Amino acid sequence: MESTVKDWIKADETAKEMLTRLFTERPFLPLPPPLHKLPLRPGNVVEVAGAPSSGKTHILMQAAISCILPKQWKGVQFGGMERLAVFVDLDCRFDVLRFSRLLKHKLIQANSNDMKSQTQYDEELFAECMRRFLYIRGYNSLEFLATLKTMNNQLQKQKDIQGVGVHLLVLDRKSLSLQSVMENVVQDLQKLLLVHLLLVLATKNSISGDKSTADELMRNTSSGPRPKHREYMPSVWQSFVTHRIHVAASEHDGDHRRQRTYLTEWILPSVNFSDRFVINEDGVSLIS
Amino acid sequence: MAPLKSLESEYPIIDSDFRQFCASHAIFSVEDFLVHDIYVLMALAEEHDTSDRLKQAITQVLSIIDAQHQPWLDGLELLGYSQKSKSILSTGCERIDAFLRGGFQGGVLTELVGPSSSGKTQVCLLAASNVTKSGLGRVLFLDTGNSFSPTRVAQFVSSSSELADTESSKILPQVLDNIECRSVFDIFTLLDVLHQLLQNLRYQVGQNLRMLIIDSVSSLITPVLGGAGTHGHALMASAGFLLKKLAYEHNLSVLMTNHMVAGDGGVIKPALGESWKSIPHIRLLLSRDVLNNICSMFILRHPSMAIGERVEFAIL
Repeated sequence: MESTVKDWIKADETAKEMLTRLFTERPFLPLPPPLHKLPLRPGNVVEVAGAPSSGKTHILMQAAISCILPKQWKGVQFGGMERLAVFVDLDCRFDVLRFSRLLKHKLIQANSNDMKSQTQYDEELFAECMRRFLYIRGYNSLEFLATLKTMNNQLQKQKDIQGVGVHLLVLDRKSLSLQSVMENVVQDLQKLLLVHLLLVLATKNSISGDKSTADELMRNTSSGPRPKHREYMPSVWQSFVTHRIHVAASEHDGDHRRQRTYLTEWILPSVNFSDRFVINEDGVSLIS
Repeated sequence: MAPLKSLESEYPIIDSDFRQFCASHAIFSVEDFLVHDIYVLMALAEEHDTSDRLKQAITQVLSIIDAQHQPWLDGLELLGYSQKSKSILSTGCERIDAFLRGGFQGGVLTELVGPSSSGKTQVCLLAASNVTKSGLGRVLFLDTGNSFSPTRVAQFVSSSSELADTESSKILPQVLDNIECRSVFDIFTLLDVLHQLLQNLRYQVGQNLRMLIIDSVSSLITPVLGGAGTHGHALMASAGFLLKKLAYEHNLSVLMTNHMVAGDGGVIKPALGESWKSIPHIRLLLSRDVLNNICSMFILRHPSMAIGERVEFAIL
């Protein structure tokens, strides 16, 4: 009796040991802009919300690319996570050609940074990176639930084949209504998060609560309060999400080539800075 | 979904004992498994006498569930599949072809939106006649407002510069034969037609359907949208997903037309609202200058082109 009480009081590990353990098991992930300013680790769930056509899928593609890139290959630094990325496409609009072009751009860019050839990339490396990208579609909520139930086995299998684990799970869902099965979805995702060290990125179409369009408000109040967005997701989902970022297109930027610029703003945790970016051939690039 | 009983003939391990165990946890079909916690079930099965058989049966059901979702692909396989099967169908107008990098893509939903008489149906008819004239395959034209015109198709075929008059009149019956035109007047008929099409395409290899045109999809969906219920949105979403599935699995190029409605501040905007915006892959805004009969096409949404780019063309 006395020994069990003593065991119960005895500490499991010191704070230093715990932090060292956490930082090695769940390191801060180097994500591309605009997700780079906040420290995100496996176990976090980030919701990328925005109106249709506001660049959300591009942000997700960039994040997936930085997950599958290696840290370094044949002496060239790429700075990626060298892990598997899973893309669950519930929107069924994923453009793999655009994705492969973005990946090739990144490979060429890293090569040219390192003073190697400016226009070439390593075919073998490209193939290896693409193999680390796992893709699945779902046309309705039943297919999605079936995917979730069998995802653990699939991830284990892939981990055994490729030798590395998964670090990123992307859920691209814009018009599929999951209201009725949201509880089960969240439950299954929570179980997956226990077993695999995943960062979850999910998209959401945001509905403006105001009558006037979001663009008009952007024009009028460039630094004033942002338009309120109606939260329509069930509370089980809202409490599952740990971070929220909102993306919107802003059109009041009249200069440089009339390119469409986008504005991002972290809603959860609420911080004061916001980033502007444009989407061009190389993908998402930050301005200001 | 079928109840568990019907699976017994194929999978003898799903016997009445197992079904009784499932029934005690309110599971009667494979679908019910999807909303239950499998690990908890496994743990509960442990406590039974026949725990091994029960666990085997649960694993069997899991493998049935595994067959119910779309296949997993890795990046290379996905790229190979899209490069092999993606085809581009010329629109029939050189300027639009150059603008859209080849024409209308297979496997992709393209929406043509514009006010009345801006050239949407003309672009559809031109594309249909071009596909069949070049012998690329068949076209299915779902007509909601009796806008399909065989005379116009004949004009397009004969006005093309490559063929002489006699030749074009010879191929005209063949061209018109390859365009199937069906009248659809409500969303339920549309869903029916699409389901039927999916079945037909799955079992008949020799159909060679390349393009599906719905003129106009908004007149089918607008009557059911609005009102207090959300079933209109659900119908719209299911039509959208069905079209995406058809396009992806059978490499069809799907063209849909949509009209405009008044928006905030008097500005007109495309109909069907916010939730429709995430269904088509490519959204093109058409407008026509009546004085000089020049149409212009403006990109509203495209996976790899910037929003705002435009081109001007004339359909003669």
